[in-house]
Amino acid sequence: MTEQFSRRDFLKLAGLGAATTAILTGCGPASRYVKREPYQQMPEYNSVGQSTYYATTCRECAAGCGLVVRTYQGRALKTEGNANHPLNLGKTCARGQATLHGLYNPDRVQAPSTGDWDSAIQTVADALKNYKPGEVAFLMGMAPDHLFDLVSDLANATGMNGPVRYGALGMFEARATLSKAAENLFGQAGLPWFDLGGAQVVFSFGANFLETWLSPLPYTRGFVGLREGETKLRGTFVQFEARMSATGAKADHWVPVRPGTEGLVALAIGKLASELRGGAMPRVFSSVNPAEVAESAGVELEALHHLAEMFVNFNVLAIPGGAALGQSNGLEIAEAVLALNALSDNFGKPGGVYLSALAPNQTETSRPASAEEMAAFVEKMKSGAIKALFVHGVNPVFELPAALGFKDALANVELFSFATFPDETAAEAKHVFPDHHGLESWGYQRVATGVSLPVLSGAQPVVSPFYDTRATADVLIAAAKLAGGKFAEALPFADEVEFIQSKVGALMSEASGSFSAADAATFMAYFQQYGGWFKNADALIAPDGSGVLNGNVKAAEPEFAGEGEFFFVPFVSPTLAEAGANKPWLQELPDPTTTVMWNTWVEINPETAHELGLQNDDMVRIVSEAGEVEAYVYLYPAIRPDTIAMPFGQGHTAYGRYAEKRGANPADLFGVHFNEAGDLAFGGMKVKVEKVRAAQSGVGLARLESRIGVYGEALGEEH
Amino acid sequence: MTNAIPEVKLAEEHVGKWGMVINQDICTGCQACVAACAMENNITFVGEEDSGYGRSMHWIRIERFWEGEYPEVKMTPNQPMLCQQCGSAPCEPVCPAFATVHSTAESLNLQVYNRCVGTRYCANNCPYQVRSFNWRDYERPEPLPNQFNPDVTVRRRGVMEKCTFCIQRIHKAQDEAKSEGREVMDGEFTTACAQACPATAITFGRTDDPQSLVSQLAHKGHGVKHLEELGTLPSVTYFKGG
Repeated sequence: MTEQFSRRDFLKLAGLGAATTAILTGCGPASRYVKREPYQQMPEYNSVGQSTYYATTCRECAAGCGLVVRTYQGRALKTEGNANHPLNLGKTCARGQATLHGLYNPDRVQAPSTGDWDSAIQTVADALKNYKPGEVAFLMGMAPDHLFDLVSDLANATGMNGPVRYGALGMFEARATLSKAAENLFGQAGLPWFDLGGAQVVFSFGANFLETWLSPLPYTRGFVGLREGETKLRGTFVQFEARMSATGAKADHWVPVRPGTEGLVALAIGKLASELRGGAMPRVFSSVNPAEVAESAGVELEALHHLAEMFVNFNVLAIPGGAALGQSNGLEIAEAVLALNALSDNFGKPGGVYLSALAPNQTETSRPASAEEMAAFVEKMKSGAIKALFVHGVNPVFELPAALGFKDALANVELFSFATFPDETAAEAKHVFPDHHGLESWGYQRVATGVSLPVLSGAQPVVSPFYDTRATADVLIAAAKLAGGKFAEALPFADEVEFIQSKVGALMSEASGSFSAADAATFMAYFQQYGGWFKNADALIAPDGSGVLNGNVKAAEPEFAGEGEFFFVPFVSPTLAEAGANKPWLQELPDPTTTVMWNTWVEINPETAHELGLQNDDMVRIVSEAGEVEAYVYLYPAIRPDTIAMPFGQGHTAYGRYAEKRGANPADLFGVHFNEAGDLAFGGMKVKVEKVRAAQSGVGLARLESRIGVYGEALGEEH
Repeated sequence: MTNAIPEVKLAEEHVGKWGMVINQDICTGCQACVAACAMENNITFVGEEDSGYGRSMHWIRIERFWEGEYPEVKMTPNQPMLCQQCGSAPCEPVCPAFATVHSTAESLNLQVYNRCVGTRYCANNCPYQVRSFNWRDYERPEPLPNQFNPDVTVRRRGVMEKCTFCIQRIHKAQDEAKSEGREVMDGEFTTACAQACPATAITFGRTDDPQSLVSQLAHKGHGVKHLEELGTLPSVTYFKGG
């Protein structure tokens, strides 16, 4: 917005356009931020006791949910979902709620490491100028997209390396595997989208879609549709996984298959179902032997028969995900499970499999780097091909498995961190130039999956920056100006907002949008006010599944690295995810299945624990081929006796007082093994369990169930 | 002297009564309600050690139990447990300071913080175990207090607290409706937990209004009220489903 268009003018406009409580936008450079005032001194647009609401985009993960933040005299008080946002329809997850504990976290990076921003910008400009373009690399998180676009433009114009994106969530979701499986089966890469709400029966092979998977809010909505659809009977949900996840806990049937046999089980069910239906046996299922599969997976053949019968009467939606894809044969598992959908003929149909819609300013599907691509990136750092590394929106020292050697490779590069929090990567960086918190930031995020409409979610500051931080986009624009030449030409913008306007303004000419406007300033104002822009046309891609049944899906037995006797299932903490550990209220949320707070635990079947002489709260050491970690034992009744599991999210060595020196990081156990799509085979290992010490009185896991009793019988017992 | 025993009414018969319906079949246990409640109501976090002693301050918690043994093990449907705003609340008569009292106007169970002297009799008498006691002045270092909701009292050591059905939101909606000369409309506002719930498993509203969504849901199927046999007249109806 320009300076001619003042906030006061805008308020008049907003009053006309606002659907409910006026949701405001930040405005031109003169009044970009709402100032934080003492309570006795009000900003002009506030009256006593009245709150102001701003629409923006959540940055706790990359899904791109819309938020409306309640502010009061320049303070952000509460986040709610944006009811007009097609992705989350007014809802939020726990992490979205706790984002304020990031904004007002007592441990934020409060100023640039150079002391002032002028010298910080000079430092960045020097790096751009003095290194050869090919020696400069950007490593970015999966959000925000506007900064990714800005860096992409800069790289394209100057010959720098294009930005590489990575996030631990993307690694655990095995996005490269999902995309590659779609390419192999349908001839088109993309992020699959599964329409749970329209399905009658859902078979999920490890997909933790009610926790952190891809876009949990729309999948939760889909789950409700499965259970509550007004026009049909309550849908059935079957989960195949070795360790019952919080998602699996909602299933009608939990089938604890041996890790790595998910693909074989899917093909066996496909074969049995095809036999029940009669006719020619589809080639894709022909080579599998159900009796052998049942033996190998550790399930009853009768159970597979029973599951296959569901295909006769119902439309079954089969979803691959979670630890199943993080196996040595993860790509085959993804293909086998996707192929099962061909029996229901549900490709591109309600209750079936789609490829996600492309966002408004997106021309082709994109995904974060796989672990194999990250290994190549680390190799370039080690060899000296990369000399200056800029890191934004990701904490690779923590989020990449230690075995990839990223931390050691940092010795070879000049590291610039734009971290908001003092994370492990910032601790290693020569320069730390902190970006604002997401709620203090401008931006936009493309909605990658979860909604049939193409959505560009808009972000604006809901409060003025609390510390002496600066938007990384502004730093890069200013540094490019200083560096001059092709750098300055690549980013001819006054500031970040002007850059965003140039990108968002391009949508003005699109027909059938959620709103339109005659001039760019008004369009931008609406974009902020509504928290984004979306096309009103369904843009899900129907995949071509015509060749699937006669295709060829291999179904090899998985390979496991390491000597131990236990399969190892690492899973993303449903409450903390990869970056929630520094928010105290997220730490104090009980894990949905174990009710543990503030720590890391190892889930062991009670029978196995008995054999090993282990009890709750004993300390054990888990040893893999790549490393070892220590954590408390939690006797978990819903896990295979030959499997143990650990949540990912804790075990920080930095990242503020609430995260530091708390729990353990299972990623320290990961070896460097990839599946065929290049994703990390994080589930493909076997580990040893060694007892370190017995449980001690007063030391152990803090569990909510200590208040209510494990089986309910201890109600009222004092801990 | 004859003390008339007060007539016990069915929960639905109270006028102006707020109530809640919780559908356990679609609750995913995601904890969004717990976080939303904490953010709305200035609930403190207590840290690992005090959490381990069962002193965490959750006003709403998701209970789950295990049934059976491997491999036939099942988790019971997630059960969000919060103050049931009993029509005949066991916590009320035991308070020597009248800090936990009944609001006849709203049929809510109130907690008056500045009357509370911390005897904890109410928590001991609550069959739902939904009351939390401030065992300490828990530290919330600067700048975390910037997030405090100015509509909700910040409690300190020695005070009992519990779910209020977001009474600040009720009052705000009532004030607005009054200033516009109308009744509060169904769905005009809701509690923080219900607003956040990604599965729409929580519905809040007037149970004395037969047209409200919460009333219609409450009479739809086989709803249960927890520990109803104690005569507490809870305001929350649960659906187990499945």
